[in-house]
Amino acid sequence: MESLLYSILGVLVSLILAFTVGMTYMGLSRKITARIQNRIGPPFYQNFIDAMKLYSKSTGIHHGVMHHLGPAFIMVTSVMSLMIIPILNDSAFFTNMNFHGDLIFLLYIMTFGPLGMALGAGQTGNPNSAIGVTRGLSQMVGFEIPWVMAIIALMIRYDTSSIVDIMNIQADAGRWIMFSSPFTFIAALLAMLGMFRYSPFDIVGAPTELASGPMSENGGKYLFTMMSSSSIFAFAKLTLYVNLFMGGADNLLVLIIKTFALYMVPLLYGTVSPRYRTEQAVRYFWGWPSFFGLLAILYAVFF
Amino acid sequence: MINDKNSQKIVDHIHNFARKHSLWVLAYGTGCGAIEIPPTMTSRYDAERLGVRGAATPRQADLLLITGYLTTKTLKRVIRVYEQMQDPKYVIGFGSCTINGGMYYDSYNTINALDRYLPVDVYINGCMPRPEAVIAGFTKLQELITAGKADGAAKYKEKLEWYRKNQKNVIPNWTMPEYNW
Amino acid sequence: MKENKVKLAKYLKEHFPAIIEKDYNYNRIDFSINRELVPSVLRLLKEESGYIHLSHISCVDWLEEEEFELVFIIWSPVDKIKILIHTRIDRNNPVMDNIDKIWRQANTYEREIKEMYGIEFTGLEAADEFLLEDWNGMPPMRRDFDTAAYASNKYYNRPGREDAMDVREEIARHSGEEIPDFAKKYSR
Repeated sequence: MESLLYSILGVLVSLILAFTVGMTYMGLSRKITARIQNRIGPPFYQNFIDAMKLYSKSTGIHHGVMHHLGPAFIMVTSVMSLMIIPILNDSAFFTNMNFHGDLIFLLYIMTFGPLGMALGAGQTGNPNSAIGVTRGLSQMVGFEIPWVMAIIALMIRYDTSSIVDIMNIQADAGRWIMFSSPFTFIAALLAMLGMFRYSPFDIVGAPTELASGPMSENGGKYLFTMMSSSSIFAFAKLTLYVNLFMGGADNLLVLIIKTFALYMVPLLYGTVSPRYRTEQAVRYFWGWPSFFGLLAILYAVFF
Repeated sequence: MINDKNSQKIVDHIHNFARKHSLWVLAYGTGCGAIEIPPTMTSRYDAERLGVRGAATPRQADLLLITGYLTTKTLKRVIRVYEQMQDPKYVIGFGSCTINGGMYYDSYNTINALDRYLPVDVYINGCMPRPEAVIAGFTKLQELITAGKADGAAKYKEKLEWYRKNQKNVIPNWTMPEYNW
Repeated sequence: MKENKVKLAKYLKEHFPAIIEKDYNYNRIDFSINRELVPSVLRLLKEESGYIHLSHISCVDWLEEEEFELVFIIWSPVDKIKILIHTRIDRNNPVMDNIDKIWRQANTYEREIKEMYGIEFTGLEAADEFLLEDWNGMPPMRRDFDTAAYASNKYYNRPGREDAMDVREEIARHSGEEIPDFAKKYSR
């Protein structure tokens, strides 16, 4: 009983941690983009102010039930994936609710959020939302393939589908999977570019082109929900990558350093790239990333 | 306890702080003033350091920036856009044309005084106002928000009949819904 | 260029004896003709002489002479000559032949002229409204339409505005120069 309470407390703490860290990363990304563009940029806590403002706005829009549930779906997805991903190595407090086979469950649950968003955006009747949703789903078809290939390669190579097992294997071998099976890491890293939806893969919510796509009818508290869930999800994904490929983290400071280093990849790639069209994005993911994914599977099967 | 007057004051203070430092702008750029928005937002003047950011749709925006003259045709759309925005919302009239018609004062199809049709919180004069003036307008609006005086939306709800009368005077064939917030 | 223009004028004179030419510098040449013959002239120029591009249709209001003048500007990418074809129509009964069978893009210009000057084009198929919405009254680009009176009547004029003042005498007094006679003619 006590251990259950303990892990529930751990879940709450990790939720707050994910929210804070994710929001700070988003704010820092705005600052870094501004510095690259030779601007001063907003302070790094700007996103907290934005979130507070969005929360304090009144909302009087009604487009139907699914419109209200859409942001909730995305929030549920983010929180659920965070629940499964262990945050630190060998920490009873931060192990969260992971179980054997959680990698397969994660593959499923990570596609659930965009589907919920599609349902919610579909009911608003806004043509921009509809275009954004179709773009988002096509892009997902693109990056899911190298991502799933990388995960399958990991599962074949280490004969497990548990994140904790993979973390333990790395700890025992003293060698990160990033180095011991580099093709897997490359495929997963390139898939991550699409997962984060930064430029050049920001075709879903392109503000000047689609009026922010699926979010175009959501203001105030709905936008707050989407913003916070996307920051939680970003933290969850980064932690997952650190767990799978960079040997996890022994304490929170190491975790933050590793996730931030990983976060710089899509961000910096995005600041210097213009936006792709949908078919270009899909073709990108079905090119080199899928090739590396295939290579990783072959490597895992034959060596 | 939570409805206590003092605690409400503290909550308002925090909310006003957040609103002040996070103005999401919907630039209604059909007038010539729209050309002054890109330099205001990009690296030379960088309005994002004040928390001013572009919003993509009226649902997400706090601030409607009307850049220059409004014809009777665009006024229809602006009214629609303004009513779709969520409270609290502010309007900045930008350029001489919104104040007294500017150089189009005797034109048959541009309105002369914007505050007869929409509640304007801050006017920025000039033809065109430079980015410094635009940023001064933003900071003036921030001061008004801190003081709790940027209550254009409340005024609009209160005097809706008067605004509607003026709007219908200019737009004879009114096909929009009576109110659509 | 010059010989091309002469050849063109001769060619048109053969087909339309009533046409009046007026030559200008560079690549411009003007013709005037009565309104019934305008479609034939345009069709001839387009199909026989290679003037395939309709640049613009313009309208001038000659209030004192009670006439509208329509100007068709066409251009040949081969000859590099710009032709302006002028025609005058009665101001009290403004009717013109529709030419959007020759150039489809003429439809847009004709709609605009119809809305702004009230000229009827026979057989023009277009929506009622183009640039103006809910407009009933005198077409606004006619010269006898008093736009200032209309604006001050319909829109609110904020008091305290000082503008549209004649400051030329003030400037002349400051700078010590005389206002030339030709400028006085165009005084307000």
